[in-house]
Amino acid sequence: MTALFPRAMFAAVFCTVLLVGCGKKEEAPPPPKAAPAEAKAEARPTGTLNLYNWNDYIAPETVERFEKEFNAKIAQTYFSDNEEMLAKLAAGATGYDIIVPTSNALEVLIKKGDLQPLDHSKLPNLKNMKPEFLDTSFDPGNKFSVPYAYSTTVIGYNDKRMKAAGLDPRGFEVLFDPKIACKVKGHITVLDSPDEVFSAAFIYLGIDPNTTNNDDYKKAADTIRKAKPCWAAFNSSSYIKEMSAGNMWLALGYSVDFFQANRDAAAAKRDFKVVSVIPSQGAVLSVDNMVIHKSAPNPALAHAFINFMMEGQNAAELSNLIGSGNANAAAMEFIKPEVKANVSVFPDAEAMKKLHQLRFLPAEQRQERGRLWTEVKVR
Amino acid sequence: MNRTAPRWVWTSALAAYLFLYLPLLVVVVFSFNDSKLNAEWVGFTTAWYARLFRNNEMLIAARNSLLIALTASLVSTVLGTMAGFALHKYRMRVLPVLVVAPIAIPEILMGVALLMFYVMLNLTLGLVSITLSHIAFCIGYVALVVRARLAGMDESLVEAARDCGATPLEAFRYVTFPLILPGVIAGSLMAFTLSIDDFVITFFTAGASASTLPLQIYSMVKIAVTPEVNAISTLLLILTLLLITVAARVAPGLLRMND
Amino acid sequence: MTGTLRQPGSARERWLVAGPPLAYLIVFFALPTLLMVVASFRLAGEFGGLAPLRSESGGWNLSLDSYGRFFASSLYLQLFVKSFLYALVTTAICLALAYPLAWLIAHSAKRYRDLLLLLVILPFWSNFLIRVYAWMIILGPDWALARTLNAVLGLVGIGPVTLMFSPFAVIVVLVYVHLPFMVLPLYANLEKHDPTLLDAARDLGAGAWQRFRHITWPLSLPGVFAGSALVFIPAFGIFAVPDLVGGTDGIMIGNVIKQQFLEARDWPFGSVLSIVLTAAALVLTGLAALAARPRRSAA
Repeated sequence: MTALFPRAMFAAVFCTVLLVGCGKKEEAPPPPKAAPAEAKAEARPTGTLNLYNWNDYIAPETVERFEKEFNAKIAQTYFSDNEEMLAKLAAGATGYDIIVPTSNALEVLIKKGDLQPLDHSKLPNLKNMKPEFLDTSFDPGNKFSVPYAYSTTVIGYNDKRMKAAGLDPRGFEVLFDPKIACKVKGHITVLDSPDEVFSAAFIYLGIDPNTTNNDDYKKAADTIRKAKPCWAAFNSSSYIKEMSAGNMWLALGYSVDFFQANRDAAAAKRDFKVVSVIPSQGAVLSVDNMVIHKSAPNPALAHAFINFMMEGQNAAELSNLIGSGNANAAAMEFIKPEVKANVSVFPDAEAMKKLHQLRFLPAEQRQERGRLWTEVKVR
Repeated sequence: MNRTAPRWVWTSALAAYLFLYLPLLVVVVFSFNDSKLNAEWVGFTTAWYARLFRNNEMLIAARNSLLIALTASLVSTVLGTMAGFALHKYRMRVLPVLVVAPIAIPEILMGVALLMFYVMLNLTLGLVSITLSHIAFCIGYVALVVRARLAGMDESLVEAARDCGATPLEAFRYVTFPLILPGVIAGSLMAFTLSIDDFVITFFTAGASASTLPLQIYSMVKIAVTPEVNAISTLLLILTLLLITVAARVAPGLLRMND
Repeated sequence: MTGTLRQPGSARERWLVAGPPLAYLIVFFALPTLLMVVASFRLAGEFGGLAPLRSESGGWNLSLDSYGRFFASSLYLQLFVKSFLYALVTTAICLALAYPLAWLIAHSAKRYRDLLLLLVILPFWSNFLIRVYAWMIILGPDWALARTLNAVLGLVGIGPVTLMFSPFAVIVVLVYVHLPFMVLPLYANLEKHDPTLLDAARDLGAGAWQRFRHITWPLSLPGVFAGSALVFIPAFGIFAVPDLVGGTDGIMIGNVIKQQFLEARDWPFGSVLSIVLTAAALVLTGLAALAARPRRSAA
């Protein structure tokens, strides 16, 4: 037996060497040769664009139009949570051209040095963007990013059920005050995200969601724990379906999801509407941005894509599809009136003031919050 | 041998089959549901199948999944049978741990570890990296089943063969292997199932452009998993059933899960 | 009968048979895992991932902090116990459901056995998520199951019960998802039982229960063990099922591990939890293996 092990190790090393050799030959879609733009004045970028985006966060028509215009192909990979994307990149995954992180994830990527600076000369459509979304403290001067779309984390509810229970769901007390929440016990879900639930608790308690004070975390954890018995589940994915099916009546979720749920409920001819409101105390605003990874195989096409997405019509298609907020002024005329009228998607000036964007949280607070989150879920 | 089973065994087995098939029935029936929601029956339509055939991404993902599952189950069956045999016959110290540990280790840890490992080796992430990862965790399943099978085997047959002058290899090929074949096939079925449905490890080792069915479906999770997914599940089922029926006709005894 | 199959065999034979799987597992399992074992002693990277092994000052970025945190709070131990119990219940139910089924298939007419076995595994070639979603429909409040249950409970005066987002839902789906991994090993073992043993016992006057207890069950122990291992171990560490159908209390240790790699961006701690989980699973499996040693007396 003892003689076997060294021989096995040798075999293992031998196999590894073989594999490294084999690995280099295996290629996914042929690496695009970004047309050397220096060679010809009008060389169009083309090839394959590797887009790492949220689920269902780009309209199929937009993809088709881009592919036709640039005679290119978009290879899409998806994530449903910033953390998934960050974990993959942290483990060393490469090969992505464009990634679409939310602002606090953008902060992480910039700090890590994972992004390449944008060449503004290739992005003439920047002038279309709404000024209040540009040059933010997350990315001064838009050195690395351009806003893509935004959504808010709001309260969504079944209007019929709320009326029947006599509840006014337009503030966070309907989720966090056990006396109120338990009136619809077992029919409430909240997002399965410490970021979102803690922030909602902070806003309810009147604390800045970006606090780094550990005592604040304990206060928020207590509030969550007290309200938890009234909730049915922590759910970030199927709550849309549960809302439109009428099983869940109240939820903490994303404005785009409630927009979807309402459309689905109407298509299924339900006798209720799924309404979403920005809570009176405020809400979290999530702005998603386009960035180019530093190891992008096709930066030329990536720039072309970003510029393309800043065209009014293209930007509007996503809003019309999923009801996302739009940071593009030129897109507003292409957006359907019912989407524009949705206050939780396009909040008015008053509501905008109450919105908070989440920032990067230092490691110590993350750990503490993570521990409290586990505690809240277990005890 | 008393082959007539008592009534309660029949009912219990039937109940188990019902339990297994109830959700599947829901999946198949709802693939014809005229509602995006996948929550309750609205009306009959075949539109989802039509949409499926225009959904290139989904079809490519399904093809990749089948390819990976076939390769991974083949290789892991070979390696797993060897491992199961070794576990049974030889007194091994390291192999038992290495065989069981991939089953025990949380998938997310393995996924991250494999990704880091491939990056270190500069291995291009894609279908190959996914297949290599799948083989790693499938070997254990095959090995354990083969070993369980060997444990119940009548060893005097092998002895008799050796006494008649067979070499160890001949004894294995003509006596042991046919006897353990049902276990080998059972193991390979499990490996195929595991591979075709794996999400977490595939998620981390897939790279920028390879897509498998679980990845594709997971990407639809937010917008309510539409009946398109039911449709492709139903189709995959039918396809595999067809493949097996054809294989059984063309090469009877190929499946020989019993003898 | 000394069981000549258990001869050590020539060294060359061992190398040929055990070598390839050993080599593969070392390269594609042991080495990556080693990376993460080392990671449990490292520090978390400032922005997620792992901190570099060497700090700027030239020292090593290693510590036992993550292990300390694990033992500092009873929280994680509680979760381990809870996950253990869920896995145990799942395994027991799987065994109860699978044994009669495997037995029946093993004793069916030869021409049906293949088909019956395939029928067991066929549902599992559809996608995991879609099967769970189907269960969410079946257990949902609008369907026959919940409706009849609540009607019955209503008669007794108990308020409506939701089946979804509850421990019940978690167990049902856990059992469903793992059932074939109990059936297949059991079948592979049961199929090979020598019928003449049972005939002889019957001729000697043993009743059905006695035949089962003294012959079938002991001979099937290796299959029981293999099936139980293949159900218990994955169920112990799973996160997807509690995530999807668990209620607010539905968290298991697998969920916390996932959380460390994602939201908490604390890979070292995630590694610690994973190592403890794997070690626990291996130890339990080892103990069960000792208990399930097949008796040689049947020959």
